[in-house]
This record gives sequence, C-alpha cells and structure tokens, in this order.
Amino acid sequence: MIYVLTIYTLVAIINLPPLIKNGQKRELFAFIAFFIVAFVLSLLYAMDIEIPSPMEGLKYLIEDFMGLKYPEPK
Amino acid sequence: MKNTAVKIATILLMITLLFGCLDGRELSELEIVIGIGIDSADDPDSIKLTAQVVNVSQLGLSGSGGDPDSKPYWNAATTGTTIFEAIRQITHKTGNRLFVPHCEVVIYSKDVAKQGLYKHLDFFLRAIEMRLTSFILIAEGKAGEVLDAKPQTEELPAVNIYNLVKSYGFTSHLYDVTLKEFSSRLISEATAPVAPLIKVVQEGENKDVQVMGLAVFKEDKMIDELNMDETRGLLWVINEVKSGVLIVPTPEESGVAVFEIETAKGKVKPEITDDGKIIMHIDIKLQANLSEQTTAEKLARPEIFEKLQDNMSEVVVQEIMSAYEKSAKTGSDIFGFGDMIHKKYNKKWHEQLEEDWEEIYKTIEFDIKVDSKITKTNLLKNPVTQKLGG
Amino acid sequence: MNVERGKINVTQLFFCVTGFVEGSVLLVNFAVDMTKSQTWMAVLASIAVAIPVIYSYVALATRFPGLNVIQINDIVYGPILGKLISLYYIFFFALTFSFNNRDIGELYKTFIMPDAPMIFFLAAFAVTCAYAVHKGLEPLARVSHIIVAISFTVMLLIFLLLIDIMDFSNFLPLFDVPLISLIHSVHVITAIPFCESIAFLMIFGSLDKTEKAAKYVIWGLISGGFILLNVAVRNTAVLGNTETIWTSPSFESTRLIDIGTVLTRMDLLIGVIQTILIFFKASLLLYALATSVAQILGLKSYLPILLPLTAIEVILSATVYQSPVDHAMTTQNAGIFYSTPLLYFTPAITLLIAVIRKLPKSKRRKRS
Repeated sequence: MIYVLTIYTLVAIINLPPLIKNGQKRELFAFIAFFIVAFVLSLLYAMDIEIPSPMEGLKYLIEDFMGLKYPEPK
Repeated sequence: MKNTAVKIATILLMITLLFGCLDGRELSELEIVIGIGIDSADDPDSIKLTAQVVNVSQLGLSGSGGDPDSKPYWNAATTGTTIFEAIRQITHKTGNRLFVPHCEVVIYSKDVAKQGLYKHLDFFLRAIEMRLTSFILIAEGKAGEVLDAKPQTEELPAVNIYNLVKSYGFTSHLYDVTLKEFSSRLISEATAPVAPLIKVVQEGENKDVQVMGLAVFKEDKMIDELNMDETRGLLWVINEVKSGVLIVPTPEESGVAVFEIETAKGKVKPEITDDGKIIMHIDIKLQANLSEQTTAEKLARPEIFEKLQDNMSEVVVQEIMSAYEKSAKTGSDIFGFGDMIHKKYNKKWHEQLEEDWEEIYKTIEFDIKVDSKITKTNLLKNPVTQKLGG
Repeated sequence: MNVERGKINVTQLFFCVTGFVEGSVLLVNFAVDMTKSQTWMAVLASIAVAIPVIYSYVALATRFPGLNVIQINDIVYGPILGKLISLYYIFFFALTFSFNNRDIGELYKTFIMPDAPMIFFLAAFAVTCAYAVHKGLEPLARVSHIIVAISFTVMLLIFLLLIDIMDFSNFLPLFDVPLISLIHSVHVITAIPFCESIAFLMIFGSLDKTEKAAKYVIWGLISGGFILLNVAVRNTAVLGNTETIWTSPSFESTRLIDIGTVLTRMDLLIGVIQTILIFFKASLLLYALATSVAQILGLKSYLPILLPLTAIEVILSATVYQSPVDHAMTTQNAGIFYSTPLLYFTPAITLLIAVIRKLPKSKRRKRS
C-alpha cells in the first residue's frame, strides 16, 4: 500500500517536470490521464478490492452469447 | 530533486528484487530424503509413511571411529490418510520440511499395492521436487523394514536398493521401473504396469535385501507375481535383456552348459491375419559365451555348438512362453502387445479389439525365432577331464 | 508523422520475427491437450495456414512504406472508422501483453519460486520490458540476433541430449485424433505464436527498405516454426502417452535428462531460455502498444505514457485470470476467438480496400 504510493509519487516526480517545461500539452494530458487510471487501479488492487477482468466479459460474450466453443478434448 | 527521486526509485527496485529470497532454504534446514516407504497402517484408511533421511553429520563416520551404533540415516515414520498429509506430519518430528529431490526409491508394501496405488501415486508425480527417474518397488512385508535393513557394503539402505535395481542388467531377472515408466503403463489402457519385488532375507544376524522378480498390476492393483525366469521372458521381448546366465542342457544330457549373455536384441512384429487371429512375430538375436560346463563332454566343436545353440534357443522360448502363460492367466498384457497393435492396426484396434483386449490377449499365437550364437569359450578349450585326446 | 525515429534493416527483422515466434515455445503445450501425439502435425499445418495470413500483413505494410498500422487505418477507412478499428488493435495488444506477462508469472510461481507473490513477478517483468521499450526499437532489434542464436543452440542441445530417451514409435498411430481436435489445435497454434506477430504492423513502418520485407518475414516465421516443431516432436517422443497429464510437458521432458548423474535437473535451463524469449516477445508487444496509443492520440513520442501504460498492464495481468487452469481453458476457447476477426481478416480487408480505392495516392502519381 505504502509501496504503491511511493512508487507513483516517484514516477510523477521523474516524469512531470520535463513535460511541463517543454510545454507538450498533449503528452502531459495523456500522461496525467493514464497515470490517474493506473494509480486508482493499483490502489484498488493493493487494498484487495476485486477488479473485474475483461476476460470474464469476453468469455461470456463469446461462449454463452455467441456459442463459439470447441468440444472438450477427450 | 529529480536525481534524488531517481536514486530512491533505483533503491526501491533493488529491494524489490529481494522478494526472490523468500524461497531460500539453507542446507541446515533441509531434511534430505533418499527413500520413501509406504505401508498400510492399523487404521484401514491410513498409510504409514517412512522417509529415510540422511544424517549428514554421521555420513562417512560409521565404522571408522564413529559410534558404531549410530546410523548415517534415520527412518522417520508417520501415519496419515494421504501421502502429502503424512509427509507434512513428519515436520512434527523433524521441525523442517522434507527435501525430496534426492529421493531415489519409492517402496510400496504388498498390502498397499493390492489395494490400489492410484491414491498413493499422485503426489509423487505432482510434486515439483520429486524426480521422475526414481524407482518404484514393491516389498514383501513391510516397506519400513526394507528401508531399515542395513547393507554391508553401502552406508545408506536406499542408495543400496537404488544400486540393486540399476544393476538389473547383470542377471536380467528384474526390471528398473521408474515413476515415468510406471505411469506410462498405467495410462495406457492395454498394458499392465509392472514393478520389481524386494524382500528382506534374514541370514543369521544380518538382514539383507534382495530384489528379484516383478509384480504385475491390473490398472493399479497388484494381482500377480512373475518369478525370475518369467521376468526374463518379458525382458527378452521388450528388448531389455542386457546380460545374464543361461543354463542349457548339453546334447548328451550328462550335465549343463552355462552361458553368459553378451548381447541380446528383441523385435516384435504384430500381425492380424484375415480371419482375425493375432500372431506375434518375435525375433530374438542372442550372443553368448560359454562360461562354465558341468560335464566332461567336449563341447567346443561346431556340430555340438549347433546343438547347444538350438538348446539355448529352446530355453529362451521357454522363458518367453512361461511369461506369457503366467500373464495370460490373469489377462494382463505385460508385453505391451495391445499398444503395438494399436500403433499398427489403428482402425481394427478401435473397432474390434480395444474393448475385450483382456480376453483376446489370452488367444494370441506366437511365432518365435531365436537366433543364438556362441561367440567364445573364454579360456578353456576343452574341459578338465581325463578323456583328453578323445 | 511517426512516433518512432529509429530504423531497422531487414536482417534484424528476420531475427525479430524468429525470436517473437519462439517466444511462445511453451505455449505449444496448450495444444497438446487436444492433439496428444499428433501435435507436430498441428504445428506444420499452422505454419502453412499462417504463411498467407502473415503475407497479408507484410503486403499491407509494403503498400504503405514508412507508416504504421494506425496511420494506415486512418488513410484507408477515414478518420472515425479508422480510429475504431485501431482501437480493436490496441485492445488486442493490451490483452496479449497481459497474457504473456501472466504466462511468465505463472511459470515462475509454479515451478521456480512457489512462495513469492505473483504480483512481484508480473511487476518486475513488465518493468523490465518497459525499460527495453524505453530504449527504443533499435536496441531491441540488435539484441534479437543474439537471443535467437542462444535459443536455437539451447533447444538443439536439449533435443540432442534427449535422443536416447526418445521412442519414435510414440508417434504412431497416425490420425488417431478426431479432425475437430486437429482443427482446434491448428487454430490455437496459428493464433498464438504466429498471428500475434500482427504487432509487427507497428514495426514495419520503421524499416529502411520495405520492398524485400516479405521474404525475410516469411523465413523468420519458418525458422520460429521449426523450433516449435522441435519442441512438439521432442515432447511426444520422450513422454509418449504421459504427455497429456503434465502441466508443462517441456519441463518434464527436460527433467528426464540424466547423463552420467551430472547433467540432471536441466529444467532450469528451459526456464531461463523461456524467460529471455518471452521477454523479447513481450517487449515487442509493449512497444506496439505504446506506439499505437501514442499514434492514435497524436503524441510526438510514446515515452511519457510508457510507465503508466505498463502499470495498467501489470494490474490487468494480475486480475485477468483466476489461476493457471483458467488461463489454459480460456486460451483454448474464448481467448482465440476474440482475436480471430482481427488477426485473420482485418489486415486482408484493409489491403483489399486500399487496392480498390487505389491508395496510397502518392503511388498513383508515380505510376502515371
């Protein structure tokens, strides 16, 4: 938990100043957006809150909804 | 500011790498197991597990200055309902987890084998630390006793047993069955698994172990035994005879000629005739040399050699047929004929033979050709006899 | 406007493709469940099926030299539809990287260090890949030579060491397995090692001479496929009918090397080689992911978003499957179906539309 916070602060410190200095607005925006997403996800994971996996959705979509499945091997 | 951040990040990264040390086990924490024995316990559902642990400090000391009573090994025994439970329970006695990678032999007692080995085999195949090349043996009596019999020329009983099985080639009266071989036969629907038999022989004060013969299983339960000659019959066919002693009657029937097998090769070709009969063509090529003769006959002559070779082939055929007949009584395909037919006659196997293979196995006919050759007679040309010059 | 400034030549491309395909050397075991002793047939069939598919990727890239697939999609489909299709690509790259990351995490957790928490392996591996991608494409391409050389040598060495335990009658009977299982196997093997090289559509843009790329890529495919065939043949010959019960047949067959009681427990060697190969493959996938995200957002370089993307990938790898069993079951079914339209059809359709619309327009000008 503390680990997560430290790492993210470090990454922010290393990566933010050059972006702000060079005025690369798009990169800054993208960086902050992904950073926040990653930070929130990591925090949730560290706190043992269950994060739904995209594979569950895909599995449901493909196997149950579309019925695309191979027969079980012998 | 940025530099400090980078430095802290690097340090954290290096600390993270220390996670790998979580699995480190020091040498003093290891209980090195070299042999495992499984017996049935008093409770019908449980088994008694004996693990032979090496006592590293006593190794090499016994007999040369060390305490003559102390053994370089220790048999730790516990009971449990399953193998893994029993193995963990041993930590009640040892305080450290068992270190299994050096385990060379796994010995099951006959009672356990007769009840079925599936439930006692899974752990050894699944455990990451076990070796697939360990040998399986079936003990007459208690496996724990077999592991206790102190050998004369070797310090550790389990290593002694391992050497005994590994040198099966000298007599070809047993077969080295590894865990992998056993499971391969178990998985195959047609072939019957086999395992060598071991027993404790008490001679005066000494308890020795003797490995001889094979146990035959139906699926995972032991149902039958093969004696020495029958075992060798099996080994002729599966091309595993390395050396051994053949006792052949001499042409004039006054004694026996004893041959040492030099090389032997066995080839099997299955054939299904048009009217559904199964014939196994077995081709054995054998080279032997005359090591001993108990008569005063002069055997070193070409025409006598011919007759001796024929007699030798007779003996080999007898061994093979005795192995077949013993196994046919219980319908256990120890030779792997079923798999050979499956490989050659795929469709016929699935349609006609697979279901009743046990019954059909009893009706197999054989066409055995043995080509024996006597290569030398060692140092004696003629026997030590008064009839020289005859 | 390309996000990558480096250039690689076609020989490096050859080694990159070979290394990439070899990265899935343990994934052949997913197919063993279905085709047992005939896995080698499935591997050969997959190579044959994959060649035209990969050729369509290369043809698409050759038609648009110097551009990567996101740019191509924008040109061929127009800005809105192009971006949607590019999103499908990005989704695929993201999920595939997480599968590979998870693969190596499971390998370490099951076989090598069972007590350490899985997130540690996932994070460490992903960060290493991120570092490699941070350095750029050129160093990765240069490293590919030596990675391929080492892995080839080790694989052949293991094969030779196991020759005396091999029993070639284990390949009989031929054609024992029903056809549907064979098709299933071919689908799995084509999708995972071979068609994941759709990631190269992001790398073709950095070639200095795109005209001869096709020959090198196809040869790379075949050499990678040769190693996969080697693994399939070795496992079947050594393990025989016990092949299907093990979690990882490659590990078990390498364990059986027992020469002179000195060369034993060589399974660690396989672990090391597999780590290096998957590292190479995952780095290329991460590169594809980073550059495609950067391209679609119109960024000048992919470096700033690399670390956050990696972090998201780590969490994704940690949560995407419940266990190795889940991983195996899903990969054999849903895992290959979701990517089928993308891998097999999208590049070919893109190529077709480009031909019909006579794109890129600059080529037309040169001809007339």
